[in-house]
Amino acid sequence: MSSFTRKSDFWAGLALAALGTYIVSKALGWTYMSEEGPGAGFFPLWYGTAMVVISLLLVLGAVLKHDPAAQVKQIQWGELRRAMTCWVALAACVAALKYVGFIVAFALLTWFIIAVMFHRPAIKALMFSVGGALGFYLIFNWALDLQLPTGSWLN
Amino acid sequence: MDVFNGLMQGFAVALTPMNLALCLAGCFLGTVVGVLPGLGPPATIAMLLPLTFKMDPTGAMIMLAGIYYGAKYGGSTTSILLNVPGESASVVTCLDGYQMARKGRAGAALGMSAIASFIAGTFGVVALMVIAPPLAKLTLAFSSPEYFALMVLGLAMVVLLAGDSLTKALLAMMLGLWIASMGTDLFSATSRFTFGQIELLGGIDFVIVAIGIFAVGEVMANMEPEKPLDMLPVPKGLKNLMPTWQDMKDCRFAFVNGSVLGFLIGILPGAGSTISSFLCYGIEKAVSKHPEKFGTGVIEGVAAPEGANNAETAGALVPLLTLGIPGSGTTAILLAALVLWGFKPGPLFIQDSPALFWGLVASMYIGNLVLLILNLPLVALFAQLLKMPGYLMYPLILGVSIVGVYTANSSLFQLGLMVGFGLLGYLMRKLDFPTAPLILGLVLGDSMEKALRQSLMMSQGDLSILFRPIPAALLLIAAFLLIVPLVKQFNSVRVQVIDKEA
Amino acid sequence: MHCSQTTRRYGVSFIKTLIAFGAIALAGVAGVAHAQWKPTKTVDVIVHTGPGGGNDLLARAVAQMLEKEKLLPVRMQVLNKTGGNGAVAAAAVAERKGDPHTLGFITSVWIANPLTTSEAAVTLRDLTPVARLLLEPAVFAVRADSPFKTLKDFIDAAKAKPGELKQSGGSVTSRDNIIRQTLQQHTGTKWAFVSFQGGGERLAALLGGHVDMMVIEPQEAGEQVRAGKLRVLAQIAETPLPGYPNVPTLKQAGFDVVATPQIRAVMAPPGIPKEALLYWEDLFAKLGQTASWKKYVADNQLEDSYANGAQLGKAIDQIEKDMRVQFQQAGMKLAR
Repeated sequence: MSSFTRKSDFWAGLALAALGTYIVSKALGWTYMSEEGPGAGFFPLWYGTAMVVISLLLVLGAVLKHDPAAQVKQIQWGELRRAMTCWVALAACVAALKYVGFIVAFALLTWFIIAVMFHRPAIKALMFSVGGALGFYLIFNWALDLQLPTGSWLN
Repeated sequence: MDVFNGLMQGFAVALTPMNLALCLAGCFLGTVVGVLPGLGPPATIAMLLPLTFKMDPTGAMIMLAGIYYGAKYGGSTTSILLNVPGESASVVTCLDGYQMARKGRAGAALGMSAIASFIAGTFGVVALMVIAPPLAKLTLAFSSPEYFALMVLGLAMVVLLAGDSLTKALLAMMLGLWIASMGTDLFSATSRFTFGQIELLGGIDFVIVAIGIFAVGEVMANMEPEKPLDMLPVPKGLKNLMPTWQDMKDCRFAFVNGSVLGFLIGILPGAGSTISSFLCYGIEKAVSKHPEKFGTGVIEGVAAPEGANNAETAGALVPLLTLGIPGSGTTAILLAALVLWGFKPGPLFIQDSPALFWGLVASMYIGNLVLLILNLPLVALFAQLLKMPGYLMYPLILGVSIVGVYTANSSLFQLGLMVGFGLLGYLMRKLDFPTAPLILGLVLGDSMEKALRQSLMMSQGDLSILFRPIPAALLLIAAFLLIVPLVKQFNSVRVQVIDKEA
Repeated sequence: MHCSQTTRRYGVSFIKTLIAFGAIALAGVAGVAHAQWKPTKTVDVIVHTGPGGGNDLLARAVAQMLEKEKLLPVRMQVLNKTGGNGAVAAAAVAERKGDPHTLGFITSVWIANPLTTSEAAVTLRDLTPVARLLLEPAVFAVRADSPFKTLKDFIDAAKAKPGELKQSGGSVTSRDNIIRQTLQQHTGTKWAFVSFQGGGERLAALLGGHVDMMVIEPQEAGEQVRAGKLRVLAQIAETPLPGYPNVPTLKQAGFDVVATPQIRAVMAPPGIPKEALLYWEDLFAKLGQTASWKKYVADNQLEDSYANGAQLGKAIDQIEKDMRVQFQQAGMKLAR
């Protein structure tokens, strides 16, 4: 049992089967076919059903594939953590845009990546983060007259 | 009017100092616009419209057109260097272009993109000049059944882009179809999959998904190792920065493919440049001697779509100038501009305003040449960009992504979507799901559904409308494309079985 | 109690004088403020289309005209808030409560959308009507080689073969479909409606022979008619269009129906000061008198139709009522 639950295909397939079921359930609530032609539910019903079928095939494939030679891919937790940290930083930056504006938020993100994730010296990180944010501002806001987010806290 | 005479007259108009300057300005501005993701030709042209009122209309049109096709030249730059599509049509260039950059062949990729664009762009102008009016009939013959068949053909490309796992490719494609159906249904005004959000009523813009999955996802994946990857190798010497003669030979078919197919798809108002890029890429892969290498950085994978999206711009001018029918956002604004200046695009346009038409055609020749000369040296400049260490490159990519998405619609919600799609892109990479089919499903899903429903409305539910000559032919090609790889696989399995038994 | 204490202290007559004085002073201040509100910073005009779309071009044209005629002391800039068929733009205008430096340029989509879409929470009743600017006329067009010479021919053919004739148009909530519903009910006929996203596709479908008829803007049809590709059967306009002198209006063609108008109007956020509202109403009235406006209207084959805020409000209510009826009869589920 554990040999295939560790396989990513198994879980991916299940997740997609769940999504497919959701899509089908929604599609059944819309008109499938009216006298004017196919309704809003027509297409989603078809690709939703196909999604369920094919993702179950994926799950089946994960369960049935006996490949003793291939090692089950170990999840590299360290790597995953680093990638997710980066993502959380980006999400925080985007969330902060509304409050502190682009320059501050982006400078913080850049600093985080340089100093924290790649362990570069703090001075360099500061230089590049401020420089980068200002550079973007100059090119887009000033030269091209395109509005970048300005924070509500700073206005 | 006789083509030769018309062209001579056109050059006389295009080579006046003022018009030449406007052509250069347009090309340069177009390149800049193309390089910057999020800022596209439609928005730029709309912003410049007020300025054009004081100009001579022919000159203004030359400049605006310069922006239009210039943007296609620039769009590949960020696709190749940063995996950020500069323009929706440049998504396909990301597939092989970025991989080439990672292998140290960014210069060749950039250079080939410029060269292919030049060849296809020039071909497009010639075709526009010579066969525009007769092509108008072809434009009109294409309606919903034909578009549906074309989209099916496009989706059949999934099989070609599948790589190892067909099931995963199909699932990715269906995910794309799902995202495409989010929003208000055109035909029944029901909202589908909007989760109660106003911002989703109009659907999710393709650029947001592409930037999220490609750019953000890639940055996340690159964050994994403790030490940043070695800087991307940049070869020394100008010679190594350009495509080699071998590259040019390899791309012979890609040039033809991109030019012809791109132009033909361009003349169809309902098909966009993204579709032409995908189809060209798919066909290039289908006829290649080494299809399995596509996606790892083959130069034809850059030449074909880049050529296609340039030929497409010339093609899109055919319905605009011969029928007054715009095929895309940019051509719609060009139409509005022409109307504002007092011209009347329609079936009588070429007759009524030969100076404008031929002047435009001539300036497009000049513009393509200017862009080639402009872009080749820039290759060296841009390739140096790759010398940047990872810890600077990744914030740059993220910054460009944020700005690109935000300047399109000033929507923080869309930025949030981009972040979400970034996570999706990362997950897909980790789970070995190919991302190209998702983009394909997203781009084609909406058009395909609309085309199918329109067709059935026209025929009152009769499916045989889908088997008129043109759609039938396209569906046959799609079936062929689907069956051939399966047959190949079947044969190879058969060979293996036979070997075992022997 | 306060009242009685104060009265006892100062006397009734003194209070009365105080009140009278206060009232006069207030009236004076209000009167002065009434005449003196002027915009002091850049005015934002919110539109629901992207750059180059219908309302975007109108807003930019208006901004240009106001500058040219020196009617506005400040700059006017266009903000594109696309998404949700206008819902995002409507919400954006409603958000800027009380801000007299924000305007929204609307079309009938802003009325139709909240009726059918539950997510579109902002209706025009949540905004302040400022002025109606234009009416968009339209014409019925068929191919030049089609057998229909008048609208009656088309309707008769539709009666003979219900559901077989096809009209290309926009979404089901667009004017194209609304007028179709109105005519279908009035004449007891039925014909199919095929929705296309873009105007170009609709025209291509008609020219290519894939549909039989469409409702199209007079300007778009103009060139095709001149080239001999299209024939115009009837026009939907209050006053006959100058470009189509020989084409009957719906009423003249024998169909006495009320065509729900397509309006282009100006709205403001809720709760703006009355003086600001009066300023804007006045400004757009003045704009309508200028030569550049008249030229714009003529060039684009639109109908000039100024109405002030109160009249606009009434017109909007009427349109909404009509739309409710039409949508219900078309079988659509209304969201509110």
